[in-house]
Amino acid sequence: MKAIIAFVSVLIMFVLVIPINAGGKGELQKHFSNVANKVKATENVAEKRAILENSFKDMSDALSKVQSSFLVSKEDQDGIENLKTILKENQDELAGINGYERVPDSQLNNFSNYVVQNMAQADQMITISLVAALLIILILVLVL
Amino acid sequence: MRNLKNQSDKGASQSIFRLGIGCVVLTILLSSCSPKLSVLEEPQQQEYKQFKTKYSIIFIIHGDGDYLYLDAKDNEYSADEETVMNAKKVAEQNPNAEVFIFHQKPKKHFLLFFPRRDGEFYYYRNGQLIANELYWRDQEKSNFNLEVALYRQYHSGNQDKLINMFLYFGHEIPEAGGAGYDESYPDRSFTIDNLASGMKSFTSDSIKFDLTVLSTCYGGTPYTIGKLIPLTQTIVASPENLYLSYFDLSPLERLDINLHDGNVPAFAKIFARQSFDELTSNIQTTVSVAVYDVKSVQNFVNSVQKDYNQTLNSLKGLTQANLAAIEHCDCADIPAYQISTINDGVDVLYRPARFGRSKNKQSHSGWECWKY
Repeated sequence: MKAIIAFVSVLIMFVLVIPINAGGKGELQKHFSNVANKVKATENVAEKRAILENSFKDMSDALSKVQSSFLVSKEDQDGIENLKTILKENQDELAGINGYERVPDSQLNNFSNYVVQNMAQADQMITISLVAALLIILILVLVL
Repeated sequence: MRNLKNQSDKGASQSIFRLGIGCVVLTILLSSCSPKLSVLEEPQQQEYKQFKTKYSIIFIIHGDGDYLYLDAKDNEYSADEETVMNAKKVAEQNPNAEVFIFHQKPKKHFLLFFPRRDGEFYYYRNGQLIANELYWRDQEKSNFNLEVALYRQYHSGNQDKLINMFLYFGHEIPEAGGAGYDESYPDRSFTIDNLASGMKSFTSDSIKFDLTVLSTCYGGTPYTIGKLIPLTQTIVASPENLYLSYFDLSPLERLDINLHDGNVPAFAKIFARQSFDELTSNIQTTVSVAVYDVKSVQNFVNSVQKDYNQTLNSLKGLTQANLAAIEHCDCADIPAYQISTINDGVDVLYRPARFGRSKNKQSHSGWECWKY
């Protein structure tokens, strides 16, 4: 019986470890990449803007929810704050507020690529744990 | 009686079966930990080592961190794996070079409990792969001790007039602190000082690298370049952010053509231009590639050293998250750095990010500082 329990435990560990390793920051990058693909897939400028605006809003809400969660550490909270700041700058630029020139309609595809690359670079500088990254994705997928 | 014999035969065959399974498992375990991957037999290695080479190239490729990136079709790539592949191409296409490739990998376990080696080494000579070994990296500070030992084991030291190159690929190398640079070893530290001491161990006191390529974000700071000045003649680095696609290695692929005249500073400029063109055609964020002639930049580095070190000291108490919130900036934007020697010895290729606050910035001094 003990042998069976041990075997099942090891099996569960294998099953759990694989998706956790495959997730995290990669999934955050994928989220922005999917948004960029959606922007590029439509010809309608208003739709492009709406996709970007909604994605910024959803991500910002998810970040705020995770930031206030008891599950994340102080360091994670600081890291999330840094991500929110970068996201806010992108939001402002899209809308042309807070000293930014509004992103021209003709540049929305390039802007969506910029957001992906900018967030990927920020990802290298900002430390957030795997748990926090997974929570953000979970909230984005399940709640928002 | 026959029953008993049958049972005894059955028991024996079960034991043999279990032993067989045990042997297979043990073989798999041992092979997974095997440090030497079969490439060339010793006599053939010696034969290759007798050939003369003109170039000695060391690649250190850091892969123990988040190096994942996606292309437009959402295909996942690992930047370090891509760089290893390109470095191998360089090694295979240079008939007059010896090439050392050290791939620093994340900690992994076989069957959850058996640690696997976290470094992989390739040695090419005259275009031929001579050795491929797995090794353990340094455990506390990362000074390339194990990499240097492998280098000494294979490097042919009795050759004159070798052109020596050192290329480092990885995330921004911290100028202080350095804990957590390796994602799977949070307590291990790696800083610019560690890089410099490691590079020094690869060379002798009388020999400098002819070319050092620092393919990282924020490689062009007065502190970083200052640390490399005693070790090299020419440096290629990115003063600003460098997107994960890294510098383009293709100019290194045929050194007998691209460096036929032995003019390394001129080659460095070709290398920088190629990377710049490649990056600007694909990237919307900032692209900056600079070539530093170490003799000519020495005056500027000496002049600003005190100010820069003061800033570094004041940053030392900050947490990683606080540090990430502090922006870098062009040193030329800070009055203390606006001195006449700032442009001496630096060739800068710069294109601002297509979007963001700095999109109208037209030039960069090639020196990056902290906005603090």
